[in-house]
Amino acid sequence: MPMSARAPRLRLLLSGLAILALTGTAAACGKAEDTGGGSSDSSAAQQVVEPADQNGAQCDLTQYGGGVKKLDLKDATVGFSQSEKEDNPFRIAETKSIGDAAKKAGVKKYIHTNAQTQLSKQISDIQDMLAQGVDALIVAPLNSDGLEPALNAAKAKGVPVLTVDRKLTSGACDTYVSFLGSNFTEQGQRAADQLIKGTGGKAKVAILLGASGNNVTTERTKGFVDEIKAKGSGIDIVAQQTGEFARDKGQQVTEQLLQSNPDITAIYAENDEMGLGALAAIQGSGKQAGKDVQIYSVDGTRNAVQEIVNGDYNGVVESNPRFGPLAFQTLEQFLSGEKVYENIVIKDTEYDPDNAEDGLSSAF
Amino acid sequence: MTDDVRPPVLQAQGITKVFGGVRALSGVDFALGEGEAHALVGENGAGKSTLIKVLTGVHRPDEGQVLLGGEPRSFGRPLDAQQAGISTIYQEVNLIPLMSAAQNVYLGREPRTSFGLVDTRAMERDARELLDSYGIDVDVRRPLRTLGLGAQQMVALARAVSIDARVVIMDEPTSSLEPREVRTLFEVIARLREQGIAIVYVSHRMDELYEVCEKVTVLRDGRLVHTGDLADLPRLELVAMMLGRTTSEMSGSGVTEFGEEAHTQAAEPVLVAEHLTRKHEIEDVALSVRPGEVLGLGGLLGAGRSETLKAVAGAMPLDRGQVSLDGKRVRSGSVPAAIRAGVVLLPEDRKAEGIIPNLSVRENIVLAALPRLSRFGFTSRRKQDAVVRTMMERLHIKASSPEQPVAELSGGNQQKVMIARWLAMSPRVLLLDEPTRGIDVGAKAEVQALIDELAREGLGIVLVSSELEEVIEGADRMVVLKDGAVVAELNGEEITEERLMAALSTETALPADPGAPPEEASRG
Amino acid sequence: MAEATVTSAPTRSTSVSGWLRVYGVYAALVVVLVINLLFTDNFFAVDNFRIQLVQVVPVLVVALGMALVIGTEGIDLSVGAVMALAAAVIPLWLGYGVVPAVLVALVAGLVVGLVNGGVIAFIGVQPIVATLALMVGGRGIALVISGEQLKSIQNQDLRSLGTAEVAGIPLIVVIAAVLAVLVWLLVSSTTYGRQLVAVGGNRRAAELSGLPVKRVLITAYVLCALLASIAGVIGVARAGASVPSTLGNLIELSAITAVVVGGTPLSGGQVRVWGTVAGALLLQLIDATLIKHDVPDSYSQIVQAVIIVIAVFVQRGKGVRS
Repeated sequence: MPMSARAPRLRLLLSGLAILALTGTAAACGKAEDTGGGSSDSSAAQQVVEPADQNGAQCDLTQYGGGVKKLDLKDATVGFSQSEKEDNPFRIAETKSIGDAAKKAGVKKYIHTNAQTQLSKQISDIQDMLAQGVDALIVAPLNSDGLEPALNAAKAKGVPVLTVDRKLTSGACDTYVSFLGSNFTEQGQRAADQLIKGTGGKAKVAILLGASGNNVTTERTKGFVDEIKAKGSGIDIVAQQTGEFARDKGQQVTEQLLQSNPDITAIYAENDEMGLGALAAIQGSGKQAGKDVQIYSVDGTRNAVQEIVNGDYNGVVESNPRFGPLAFQTLEQFLSGEKVYENIVIKDTEYDPDNAEDGLSSAF
Repeated sequence: MTDDVRPPVLQAQGITKVFGGVRALSGVDFALGEGEAHALVGENGAGKSTLIKVLTGVHRPDEGQVLLGGEPRSFGRPLDAQQAGISTIYQEVNLIPLMSAAQNVYLGREPRTSFGLVDTRAMERDARELLDSYGIDVDVRRPLRTLGLGAQQMVALARAVSIDARVVIMDEPTSSLEPREVRTLFEVIARLREQGIAIVYVSHRMDELYEVCEKVTVLRDGRLVHTGDLADLPRLELVAMMLGRTTSEMSGSGVTEFGEEAHTQAAEPVLVAEHLTRKHEIEDVALSVRPGEVLGLGGLLGAGRSETLKAVAGAMPLDRGQVSLDGKRVRSGSVPAAIRAGVVLLPEDRKAEGIIPNLSVRENIVLAALPRLSRFGFTSRRKQDAVVRTMMERLHIKASSPEQPVAELSGGNQQKVMIARWLAMSPRVLLLDEPTRGIDVGAKAEVQALIDELAREGLGIVLVSSELEEVIEGADRMVVLKDGAVVAELNGEEITEERLMAALSTETALPADPGAPPEEASRG
Repeated sequence: MAEATVTSAPTRSTSVSGWLRVYGVYAALVVVLVINLLFTDNFFAVDNFRIQLVQVVPVLVVALGMALVIGTEGIDLSVGAVMALAAAVIPLWLGYGVVPAVLVALVAGLVVGLVNGGVIAFIGVQPIVATLALMVGGRGIALVISGEQLKSIQNQDLRSLGTAEVAGIPLIVVIAAVLAVLVWLLVSSTTYGRQLVAVGGNRRAAELSGLPVKRVLITAYVLCALLASIAGVIGVARAGASVPSTLGNLIELSAITAVVVGGTPLSGGQVRVWGTVAGALLLQLIDATLIKHDVPDSYSQIVQAVIIVIAVFVQRGKGVRS
């Protein structure tokens, strides 16, 4: 095929156009709609310092790795390795909370990286921070396994590691000091309690599951289903379908389920996004959301809590992303020589029609 | 037959091979002596490729046997033949382009270190020694693809020789080589022969054959025509044998449907092409066609006839040269520009380059004319039907309806559909590449009569055909191509088989030869 | 709707497999409908068909464009990324109103189509490779533009696009139907459409016949990307939010499946518009059936895989050209 001499010029033109249209004009000259509220402003957000529960073995300076020097946080460089892209409110709030807490604790220097959902990048992120001489690390692991090379390097340098939001399979007080996180099973349980209370113990429920093969999905389902079995004899779970943690999928699945099971009276969504999708589906079907069909979900995002205030939503169990204060408190204790627990469960609040309006400012 | 004292190293006896009822080879004998360079020649469909494939174990013969060193051998697969010492060097080097020259030479049998790892240093040293011994100067560490084609071929040769080859078959080895590289190749061949390695040399370049080979075997239509010493065989006779003529035979007449009389010829040519050049394909080809004239392109397989047509039609990018119509220059390398100017090409390979198999007869006919049969971008069925009806009647296209898929038609009717596609464009010059190949006798006569008729109506026609009668009787004038260049022009009464063969067998100085096109382009 | 195949009669399709290839999708559609009639509660209700039609819209619109590209013997993997891009730019421009925002979303699609088509037609990169680049890169750009954040849409005009009705039929379903008719007209009775089919049928022959092959190819990718960006706008309108990280994820696979199930061969040269519509509806109904019967996700995935395998198997005969 003859290759025209115009081709290179065209290529140049195309790439120019692409950059112009995709980034330049679109972002620079755009004008977003005026939405008033918008994204999180967590200055007023509730900051948890007291853990909900602590359990497991205890660990102190002498037991961890090859031993760690006592240190005042004010003289310490602290690094935070975030795991996933910050394209959802949870990650955004988590990163912000840890950053704010670092400032408040008055650390000498605070470094923050984002692995962009790539395990290899998280490993190199951690190694880079070690090379920069951090004295303590907070890691939100992307996976329960696979970070060993980086964590062993930290141990070898005597740098304590706190993990947040996802638990590692390897041993506490060995590759990490403590795990700070939510109890997902309990979240499901609490959502079930809310639902039982809200529906008066009588309902036909459809569950919007999270992504298949994810431990969060498994635990939030188990907690919910077991609690319903135990305490909700009048409650019937009629469907369990995945909405893949996504709003549009949650909406589509709810539309289908409501149509073929018109007697569904409640939805339990394993995250707020799917719950909001279900809300749209219920409204689209001509039913009244929050009344004809109640919605309960786990997360605690501002959008969902706002819907409770509006009366279209019935309950949200928080999965607290604000690990900052608790993390730095734990670090301080540990570095001053105190013993800390292996598992530190962060306090998750919950929102219902009674407290939603007051709690809205603290939702993330 | 050979009266050589050397025992034949490779022999084929009474080989017959049938493909789906077509005899590709019938009872062919072939004998190759030790250290002998043996030319294997023939035109399209002569059976050269099939014979090579039988010798190398790609095909099993239906009848006859292959003997290696006097022993009957039956190669189940090409690897068996290779291990028995028969190597083939194809025109397209089939080695691994990203690996180094040394790695390619020792692919699959790399020298190992005591740890069982590849001993790269030893491998490179051995490869360099091997190549040096043949006077080939190549950096063995460089990836093969960064070497010139000639060097790549030398590496392939070195590989063949290093696996203890007794016979090396070379298929068009010089088709993409520079003259200097051709020289090296010939020197290597000479050294191989000194070591007793026999060469089967397949090429269309007569001058090379006479320089390199001592024996020749001529095949035509799957039969053995001649085998013997090459030096004893005059060039003219060799050409005649390839084309299936004897030198004394007079040109027959009335075999085709072409009219006897020359077409009326206007003084001014409608199409003039000058200096058409593309590396390894054609060199400085010039031709002109007057309205109403049929210009034949003569030449053997691989002479550059199809390439010349493609160049004129804008279907092949040119290094140099230009085409003008009525004195106006046509943008080169652009098919649409050529078509707009009125120059259209009926391609040689109807299936691959002509018909759109999934579309109907109607859509195939109107394909090129579609924009002018449309209004505001919407196709007009009424306008299409008018054109299609006219064309189907005029060309006697036999189809159950215009909506029949074109793939269901016979070859002859498909060819007529292709011609109709171009006539619908009201062209000035029609370039016909093998217009009657693969179609039945009746359709052939119709197509020939049609060419005659179109010329009488004032179209300029350039005709390429591997059938001698067709081009000799059809052409008013003939340009003869050899190795990609024009070697003669014949006019009117001069167009005879004798003159054509004489032109084809003229000797040309070897290394100055710019290179003929690879055989693929015109293989049927 | 009668099968309005936009190419002429299929070659030698007298065999069972030939029949299956062309009409199998309609037969399968009938089978799925009958199964649901017998075994699914509340299936034959206006409401239900309305939900199925509304939900099929994004896949269908993307599949229409995909059918054009597949007709040229190509493929476009970047459609999901185009939806994400469209979703990402909308909130940035909504301040000027719905029309400019939607126009910018379409321009984003246009640019991606030009890049895809240009790389394929001029540089000769294989379609699967060329569009893979933007499949990955396009979503990346979308995330950068959106600041990697989900944005709720407050604009009522845009939201109503997802909920409005025309004579009792959801507006987006009307839009999809109009697009299907337009694509059908394009393929069946415009010069461009016929040239597209010819290029897909035998590219070399089309070139030698003087067809503007490069222009045909680029236009096909541009149309495909434009349709994908329309699907992106519809997705945003319906969800009431711009979620570039998940919108259109894996939609390329659904769209390709719909096209292939609908009888368009991957080897190009044919575009079956109504077959594609039926293919998309079939996938939607199967999905709905599985959800309504509360089949666990893992089994749903197996069922969908089996359908794809069957579709490809039926199409297999087409690969061999006579």
